[in-house]
Amino acid sequence: MTSSLNPAAAAAPAGASSGVLADYRGRLGDHGPDPLLGSDELIAGGDVRPTQLLLADAIEAMGQGGLLAARAETRRLVHDDGIRYGVGGIDGIRDRHWRLDPLPVVLTSEEWSGLERGIQQRATLLAALLEDLYGDRLLLRRGVIPAEVVLGHPGFLRQVDGIRSRGGLVLGAHDLGRDTDGTWRVLADRTSAPSGAGYAMANRRVTTRVLAGLHRSTELARLRGFFHTMSAAVREAAPPTSEVPRVVLLSPGPMSETAYDQSFLASLLGFPLAESDDLMLRNGRVWLRAAGRLEPVDVVLRRVDPEYCDSLDLRADSQLGLPGLVEATRQGNVTVANPLGAQVLENPGLAPFLPAVAQALLGEDLQLAGKPAWWCGDRDGLAHVLANIDRLVLRPIATGGEVEAQLGGHLSAEGRDRLRRRIESEPWAWIGQEPLPLSTTPVVTPTGLTPGRLVLRTFWAERDGERHVMPGGLARAATGPSQLHVSNSGGAIAKDVWVLAPETAEAGWGDPGVRPDLVAVRPRAVVAPRVADNLFWLGRYAERAEAAGRILRVCDDLVEDHAARPGTPGEQAMRALLAAATAITRVPGDPAQPRQHVRTMVSDPLQSGSLRYAADRLGDAAQRVRDQLSQDIWHVLSRLDRTLAHVPSDEHQLQPRLYDVLESLLAVSGVIAESMVRDETWGFLDGGIRLERAQFTVALLASTIAHERPPIIDGQLTEAVLEVGESILTHRRRTVAGEGPVWPIHSAVSLLLLDKGNPRSVAFSVDRLVEDLRLVGDDVLAAKAEALADHIARVDLVEACTGDRSGLGEILAEVRATLHAVSDDLTRRRFARKTSQRTLPISWAVTS
Amino acid sequence: MSQGPEDWTPRQYDVHHRTTYTYEGPVESCFERGFLAPRETPSQRVLSNEVVISPDPQVMTEHVDHFGNHSFYVEIQTAHNELIVEKRSRFEVHWPQPDLAALDRWTVASAAAELLESAEAVERVGHLLPSPLVQPAPEVVDYCRSVIGPDMPLGEAILALTRGIYRDFAYKSGVTTVRTTLPELLELRQGVCQDFAHLAIGCLRSLGLPTRYVSGYLETQPPPGQVKLAGADASHAWASVMVPGGGWVDLDPTNDHLADSRYVVTAWGRDFRDVSPLKGVVFAEAAGASTLNVAVDVTRV
Repeated sequence: MTSSLNPAAAAAPAGASSGVLADYRGRLGDHGPDPLLGSDELIAGGDVRPTQLLLADAIEAMGQGGLLAARAETRRLVHDDGIRYGVGGIDGIRDRHWRLDPLPVVLTSEEWSGLERGIQQRATLLAALLEDLYGDRLLLRRGVIPAEVVLGHPGFLRQVDGIRSRGGLVLGAHDLGRDTDGTWRVLADRTSAPSGAGYAMANRRVTTRVLAGLHRSTELARLRGFFHTMSAAVREAAPPTSEVPRVVLLSPGPMSETAYDQSFLASLLGFPLAESDDLMLRNGRVWLRAAGRLEPVDVVLRRVDPEYCDSLDLRADSQLGLPGLVEATRQGNVTVANPLGAQVLENPGLAPFLPAVAQALLGEDLQLAGKPAWWCGDRDGLAHVLANIDRLVLRPIATGGEVEAQLGGHLSAEGRDRLRRRIESEPWAWIGQEPLPLSTTPVVTPTGLTPGRLVLRTFWAERDGERHVMPGGLARAATGPSQLHVSNSGGAIAKDVWVLAPETAEAGWGDPGVRPDLVAVRPRAVVAPRVADNLFWLGRYAERAEAAGRILRVCDDLVEDHAARPGTPGEQAMRALLAAATAITRVPGDPAQPRQHVRTMVSDPLQSGSLRYAADRLGDAAQRVRDQLSQDIWHVLSRLDRTLAHVPSDEHQLQPRLYDVLESLLAVSGVIAESMVRDETWGFLDGGIRLERAQFTVALLASTIAHERPPIIDGQLTEAVLEVGESILTHRRRTVAGEGPVWPIHSAVSLLLLDKGNPRSVAFSVDRLVEDLRLVGDDVLAAKAEALADHIARVDLVEACTGDRSGLGEILAEVRATLHAVSDDLTRRRFARKTSQRTLPISWAVTS
Repeated sequence: MSQGPEDWTPRQYDVHHRTTYTYEGPVESCFERGFLAPRETPSQRVLSNEVVISPDPQVMTEHVDHFGNHSFYVEIQTAHNELIVEKRSRFEVHWPQPDLAALDRWTVASAAAELLESAEAVERVGHLLPSPLVQPAPEVVDYCRSVIGPDMPLGEAILALTRGIYRDFAYKSGVTTVRTTLPELLELRQGVCQDFAHLAIGCLRSLGLPTRYVSGYLETQPPPGQVKLAGADASHAWASVMVPGGGWVDLDPTNDHLADSRYVVTAWGRDFRDVSPLKGVVFAEAAGASTLNVAVDVTRV
């Protein structure tokens, strides 16, 4: 950012003007008086703000066409990266895509450094406040904060009172808005389990690709360093006894609204994502369950709401935490970050008292404050709030309950009266606060740039007593009618936040955490049973989808050629292969409508054997182990999803679509094979692929060529099977060269069952399975698979194929049985979940 | 249950409390939280306390909780079909008889105002705000006003409420559970000591008087002419209201009088949830049923 800082460029944009900004300027004046609406980030007094010239120039240069193209590109990249938010869809797991605007919010380094100091002070203040509230409670005893405000907040957990949590508040976030006078003010503090840091990084990755040119010409603070600092901060919160601390990010699971943020953050920080089932509490310690062993956990980076973290001491009906976790933190055996009681700081009731708390604890003026607020538990406060109810925001101290914050002016006269009575009946539970008129920022829409009300979430982490602020953040902009809350769940769109580097930027600015890493030896990766299970099924479903794609492609080919010629050998071979496909997929269909049947087998999402079903489950399994996989896989899965979303009707060709599907699935295999280290995780995943392929091939052979048929049909069917098995070319080449067996049946059995050199054969798959089982450390099962390989190697090709081929059928049945047994054993031995947990009945019938 | 001057004399008690959980199928591990040692109070001294748990726990820790109670954490990692938690405590008990007449110089309302001025904020507010099992409800306020009011002398009001609940509700076990709400109780008009304690707490809080829930034991007498059976005593619960001058008055609406030297305290909190005597989580392969058996003996030494 140098040349475009020339103010002349802004003062006279007429020549290059595309009119987009002029339109936007016009829209800024569109609204009537609105207490929730303030200044604009880009335009002031009709002119572009001098700090925003760079962005304004880029906008003008792009024009509406360019902006819409950037918007489309942003969407595509969000889809391809699989960035999601919220839950929805038929099974609750296939969720919505993240909504991101291409235009970043740009903040100068001067402005940022002031804001950063304010954030650091507020973070320091909240940390000290937390310590007092769960310690001596001097602030309550001395009346700096009324006791009702704290003791009446559901985030104040008496169960954790007195626990000295190592590290205290390790991280935090604040939602900020810009007031009309230009100062940033606090809307809400996020201190319990702040979400969004992962989204902020995801936004950056997309935005910098979409606006590559602007990004190149701008010196902006990088985000990466912050995650280094955060990772170190969390590790250093470990109990002092742990030399190489192991951290897990405790997630409520893939059903969580911010599951993407959690798993992406886990990978940015280098911690495994864990769910309750992956952990256990034993001997007052937390352990990560790995097959056959337990690995100690020193820090739990918590994304589960505090009351759900311990079914013994907190909510008894929760399955998301660990009974005994509270006690483990009390004993100092594990650190929970942030501490379980930290939600009390998110209390809106603290707002009126924070300036006094800053004086009491820090002896300083509060730099970054909220709008003025009054507590209704105080006689004067109540009088003021009730007298000004139509212009204030009324906030219950306990948020998240049935009552939400409301703007008095948005209520009907009747609604205001109801609220007034409610406040009068429980005045201590309410505060009234002046509304914050939010600034607006341009959002790209099909009808041009639209002002969106801006809320900025900033993040910090505490390390060595210092609060490090992410030089950027997660911005949200709401273009709809003014509402009190600006949130993703309320339909706001996200924006990247660009903090410009100071003119004198030295290298590494914004990377305060990059320094020699304390932890030279990272703890060995542990694969929890849930993760192993999902990796295994990821492999199986990828392979199942591919196998379905291959057999259905050949079916479709035969149907196109022979369906119209009943009674011909070709038609009979077609029927035989269709019957095999039906047996394998178990998707029923009308034999008189083979074309329709093939399409059902491809696309019916509710039939558990269909190609679409396997592809959907592949996506689900990938979501569940997102932190284990390369980012590249989302691009491919997103394409697969799109391809399968609309399968052509009967009249249109299915083949091109099936080729697309197979191409995507090959890309999946490619990403997996080329991006994963050959360790335990790979063993489970590849084991799933090999087992599935062997089972499919055995089932294919058993339901086709293991039966005696008239030679002319048998020949055609065998060729079709070889084609499904991707071995037809080898067969033909060998036949022509006089190398392979003369009979197609021999060739098929040789290539698809016995040939250790053919990646499509059962023998090859079993050999790989043996290696995979060794990788996961299960020598017993590996030996079992090896015995199967030996058994296959001893099969006499000619003998197996003689007569009515019942010999072949028997061999295949044996192989199939052994493969099933291996799969079952693996499931039982390695994927076992924890036994179920229940709360003992408490009865009070046994009293006098 | 009658009360006479002899009930205010000092004495010693042995309390033996045994809780047995029997499971249909084996339990792999269990986590328990309980108040396995009584707290010291102005009216009682704990002379000894012994805890025996079978099977042997892998972890047993103790801490003083938010309310000053002795809270125990127990973890058992050996498979078992039966869990026995046994506690033997010896107490020296001497409750002073509250001077209700002296309290009558305040009305309920003026006492509340006095406490607002003088009482320690955390203690006062902590026991005045709604708690999980004692939520504000118009039905509770209505009932309360039918018995006592803000202008009544304080001592009189405490006694009237104790009498009122005793009079208006029948003692019957098995009708209510830990999930019964106060409006439901007012509908049912019957319940057990926990229900009556909660109702008293709700009434007193609605008048601005901080009130807590006390969990403990009560020495009982067998019916005339019969021998007291082993294990026939029970744990008990009552309410305790803060009064001006830094004291608390314990009232037992189940038995129609104030607590005397027959009452032994285990723990106190805002309501039952804070001081549930023993609660637990078990991990088991099969979701089998479990039965709970509690035997309590309160023996005068």
